[in-house]
Amino acid sequence: MMADWTRRFRTGPIPLARNWRSGSALSRRSVLRGFVRGAAVSVALPPLEAMFNTSGTAYACDGILPKRFGVWFWGNGMRPERWIPTGEGHGDEWTLSEQLAPLAPIKHKLAVVTGLACKVPNVSPHDSGAACLLTAGPALSGSEGSRVGPSIDQVIADSIGATSIYKSVQTSATSANGQSWNGPGSRNAAERDPYALYARLFGETFIEPGEDAVVDPRLGLRRSVLDAVMVDIQGLQSRLGSADQRRLEQHLDGVREIEQRLAILQENPPNLESCVRADAPTADFADVDGRPVLYERNAVMSQLLAMSLACDQTRVFGHYLTDPVSDVLFPDAPAGHHDLTHNEGGSQPAVHAITTQCMEMFAQTLEILDSIPEGESSLLDNCAVLGCSEVSLAQTHNIEEMPTIIAGSACGFFQQDVHFRSTAQVSTTRLLISLQQAMGMSVSSFGHDDAAETRGLAEIHA
Amino acid sequence: MSPLLPILLACQPEPGAGTGQRENASPVERATAPPDIDAPTPALKRLTTPQYVNALRDLFGSGLVLPASLEPDQRVEGLFSVGAARTSISSYGVEKYESAAFSVAGQVMEDEHRRTRWVTCAPSAIVDDACAAEVLSGLGEHAWRRPLTTAELDTVVSLADEAAAELGDFHAGLEFGIAALLTSPHFLYRVELGDEAGAPPNAHGNFEMASRLSFFLWNTIPDGELLEAAAAGELTTDAGIASQVDRMLADDRARDGVRGLYTEMLHLDELDELNKDTVVFTYMRDTLGPAAREETLLGIEALAFDDDASYLELFETRRTFLNRELAALYDVPAPVQDGFGETWLPEDGGRTGLFGHASFLALNAHAVSTSVTLRGIFIREVLLCQDIPEPPANADTSIPEVDASSPTMRDRIAVHLEVEECASCHRLTDPIGLGFENFDGIGRWRLTENGAPIDPSGELDGVSFADGEDLGHAVAQHPRAPACMTRTALQYATGGLVDHIDADLLDWHTLGFESEGHRILWLLRDVALSPAFRQVGEVE
Repeated sequence: MMADWTRRFRTGPIPLARNWRSGSALSRRSVLRGFVRGAAVSVALPPLEAMFNTSGTAYACDGILPKRFGVWFWGNGMRPERWIPTGEGHGDEWTLSEQLAPLAPIKHKLAVVTGLACKVPNVSPHDSGAACLLTAGPALSGSEGSRVGPSIDQVIADSIGATSIYKSVQTSATSANGQSWNGPGSRNAAERDPYALYARLFGETFIEPGEDAVVDPRLGLRRSVLDAVMVDIQGLQSRLGSADQRRLEQHLDGVREIEQRLAILQENPPNLESCVRADAPTADFADVDGRPVLYERNAVMSQLLAMSLACDQTRVFGHYLTDPVSDVLFPDAPAGHHDLTHNEGGSQPAVHAITTQCMEMFAQTLEILDSIPEGESSLLDNCAVLGCSEVSLAQTHNIEEMPTIIAGSACGFFQQDVHFRSTAQVSTTRLLISLQQAMGMSVSSFGHDDAAETRGLAEIHA
Repeated sequence: MSPLLPILLACQPEPGAGTGQRENASPVERATAPPDIDAPTPALKRLTTPQYVNALRDLFGSGLVLPASLEPDQRVEGLFSVGAARTSISSYGVEKYESAAFSVAGQVMEDEHRRTRWVTCAPSAIVDDACAAEVLSGLGEHAWRRPLTTAELDTVVSLADEAAAELGDFHAGLEFGIAALLTSPHFLYRVELGDEAGAPPNAHGNFEMASRLSFFLWNTIPDGELLEAAAAGELTTDAGIASQVDRMLADDRARDGVRGLYTEMLHLDELDELNKDTVVFTYMRDTLGPAAREETLLGIEALAFDDDASYLELFETRRTFLNRELAALYDVPAPVQDGFGETWLPEDGGRTGLFGHASFLALNAHAVSTSVTLRGIFIREVLLCQDIPEPPANADTSIPEVDASSPTMRDRIAVHLEVEECASCHRLTDPIGLGFENFDGIGRWRLTENGAPIDPSGELDGVSFADGEDLGHAVAQHPRAPACMTRTALQYATGGLVDHIDADLLDWHTLGFESEGHRILWLLRDVALSPAFRQVGEVE
C-alpha cells in the first residue's frame, strides 16, 4: 500500500501528504506537539467543563472526552465479489478483501458490515441509494434530488453538536455538493477549498488552549446586528406561507449558530491536550493532467478536520471524497469513474482499482484520526466514522448489498476487528439507529416508509 | 442536468405542460389579451450568486473583494432561478453572508470614493443620528429595493449609533449599520409577496415590480430611475411597465440579464468545472471552459442586441466570437490578438451555431471521450423541454469496448439500440448525439475514430440529417423549440415550477414569439408584461 501511495505522489509536489505519510509531520508542528503532549499525559486529566452538555448525551469516554461522529463517503460503490471479506467474526476469523486491503493498518479498529439493503424504491439511480443510506428514506422526485428528512450526520449533530463552535462541518476532496441534508431542499454544501476550510476553522477566530479569550468590542456589536437580523426574519415569517417559513427557519438556525460562536469566542478555550492551531496549507492542490490530486486533497482536509475535532470546534463531520455519479479522473484511470462503471467491460479492473484507491484514502483519513492521542486512547477511538457509498455495484445501480464500515468504537460502543454479514437483507436503517445509540441518543424508531426501523444492529454492539 | 442515463426502459418522452399542444395546428394570430390564469403562489427567492455580486457592485462600485465562494446556487428543473425559490440556505451559507457583509462594509468605509457615494453628510459628533439616518435610508432603499419603514430605519440607525459610541468613531459605527442592511433577509431574499401597500388585487405592488423587472432583465437590483417609477406608482400600470421595460432593454445592463438567462439554461456555469484528461485532449487548458462560455454568450448577445434576431439563429449562424485559444481549437485564423473578435466560420468546416461551440460539445461529453447520450439528452431536455425518464435499476449498462469490429461509437452503441430494453429510450437520445461525433470530447474536429470514418447522419423526430450542421437546422425547425424557449424564459422570470405555468398562457406567449420571428428581446419584453410575472396569489 505504501508503495502505491509513493508512486502516486510522484505526480507532483505534495509536501503535506508526503510529510504525513513519512510521519515527519502530520501537519508538522501540530501533531508532533500533540504526540508529545499525549505521550506525556499518563495521569487522568481533570474533567473539562466544555465536554459536558446539559442533557449528558454527548458525554464521553470516562466522562471526560466527547464522542464524535463522522460520515466518510465515496461515490459509485464497489464490486461485491472483490469487496466482501472472507470469513465472519472477530480477529483472525475474517480477512480483508481485495478492495478493503488498504485498511489493513487499521483493521483492528473496524466493524465491516456487509449484506445490508436499502429499503426504498430504486427509481433514481444513485440518488435513491444515497437518500436511503444517509436519511433512511426515499429520494424526493426532481432531477436535482432532495431528501424527505435530515441525513444521519444532522440527526446526530442536533443531539451532540449543539454546544460546539460548529454544529457540524462538511468537506470534500472534489465537490461543492456533499450528501448532508437538513430536509427537503436544504443541503449543507461541502467545503472543498483547503484554504477556505483552514480560514474557517483555524483563522483569526481560533483560540488555542492556553490563549486568552478574544476581547474585542466588535464581537458584541456583531451579536447586536444578528439580533436585529433575527427580528427581521421573525417579522418576515409572519407574512410567509408554510414552505417559506421552513426555509427561513433554516436561515434563522444559521444566524443562531453565528451568535453562539461569537459568544464562545469571548470565553477562554477548553484545555484540550492535543489541540493546537493546525498549520496552514501550503500546496496549491492544482490538477495534474486534468486530474485532481485526490490523495493530497484528502490528506489536507482530513488533517484540518481531525484537528477541529481534537479542539472540540465540532463533534460531527461529513467528508465526501467524491459525490454519487462522480466522473472524477482518478490516478491512472483510463476514464472518468462513473463513465467506467458503465462502459468498462468484463470484471472492470479499472473500476476495481478506483475503489481500492478510495479505500486507501479512507485509510489515510482514519490513520490521521488515530494519530491524535486523547487520554490513553486516540481521537479515532472516541469517534464512530461511517464509511459508505450510494450503491453497491454501480454498473447496475444495485442497492441491495450496500458497502458500510464503522471505524472507531465510539468509546467502546462498537465491537472492533469484526466482519458481520447479514444474510437476511437487513435494512441499512438499523446501522443508522446503532450509530445514534453509540452517540448516547435514545432512539425508538428511525426512517421513513419501508425504510423505517425500530432496532439497531445489536450484532455489532460491544 | 440529470446524471448520465445509459439505459432507459419502456421510454416515452414526457411532453411537459403546454409545450407541443399546438404542434399540428395551423399558425394563428394570438388573442390580444392573455388568457386568465390562477395567480401564482408567492415564494421567497434568495438572490443567486450573480445577483448578489451584481447588487454589491451596483451599490458600492466594482473591485470589491468578495468571498471566494458563497452558498452554491442549486438547480431545480434545470434553473437556479427556480432553485432560488425552493431551496434553503445552510448554516455555512449564512456564515458566509455575515462575514461578507462586514468585509464589504469595511471596504466601503476604507475607500473614500466608495464611502462618499453614500456618506454625503458630515457627522457633527461621534454619534450623529441624523447623518446616520440619511446614509442608511438612502443605501437601504437601494439595497432592499424599497424604502425602509420608520421602525426598520430606527433599528439600523441605533445599531450604527451603538457601534459608534462603543468604538469612538462615526464611520466605524456606520460600518455596522451597513453590515446590518447587508445581513438582513430583506437584502438577501426577494420579498415579493403581493402584500405591498397600494398593490392592485392579486398583483405585485410597485416596488415588488421594480425588483422583479430588474432581477429578470438586468440580473441585479433596480437603479434609481426604476425606484422613482415605483415611488410614482407607475409600475402597476401597463403603460408604466412597458415604458420601463423598453428603457431597460435598451440599456447595456440588459446584456447581463440575457447572459444570466442563457447561462442558467445552457448550464454554462459548469464550464468552470470541466473534467477532462489533458493527455487525451491536448488542447484542453483551465482557460478553455470560461473561453467557451464567453463565445456562446457573445454570440447570443450579438443575436439579441446587435441584430434583434431570432433565437433559432443560434443553431444556424456561422458567425461567432473567438479568442486565440478557441481559434486554435477550431483550427481557424484568430480574428484578434487579444480578447474575443467576431469571425465567420468557413462554409466547409462542418461547424455551425451552438452545436459547433466548444461549450455545448465539451459540457456534454465524458472526461476522455464524447457522449452521444449526454448530447442527445441535452437537446431533448434543455432545447425541446422533453423529460427523459430515469433508467431502471438492475439493468446491465455496459457497452462493448473498442476492438476491430467496433471502432466507432456508432458501432459500440448499436448494442443499446438493438436490445429492446435499452433501445426504447436510447433511441430518443443516442441517434441525435451521433450527429456530433465529428467533434471530440472538447469540440475538436475529427473525421475518423480509431481509424474508421465517422458517419454523423441520423434522424430527429422524422427529419433526417446528414451531419451536425444539418442537425442544427433540424432543431431550429423543430416545432417544440419555440415553446421550450418560451417556457424556460417564463420559469426563469418567475421562479415557478413547470406545473405552475398555465398551459394556455404558455401557448399564448409562444404564439406571439413565433409570429414575431422568435426574437429574443421581444420574448423578454412579452414575459415582463405577462400576467404570470405581474400577478400573485395568496400565501399558502
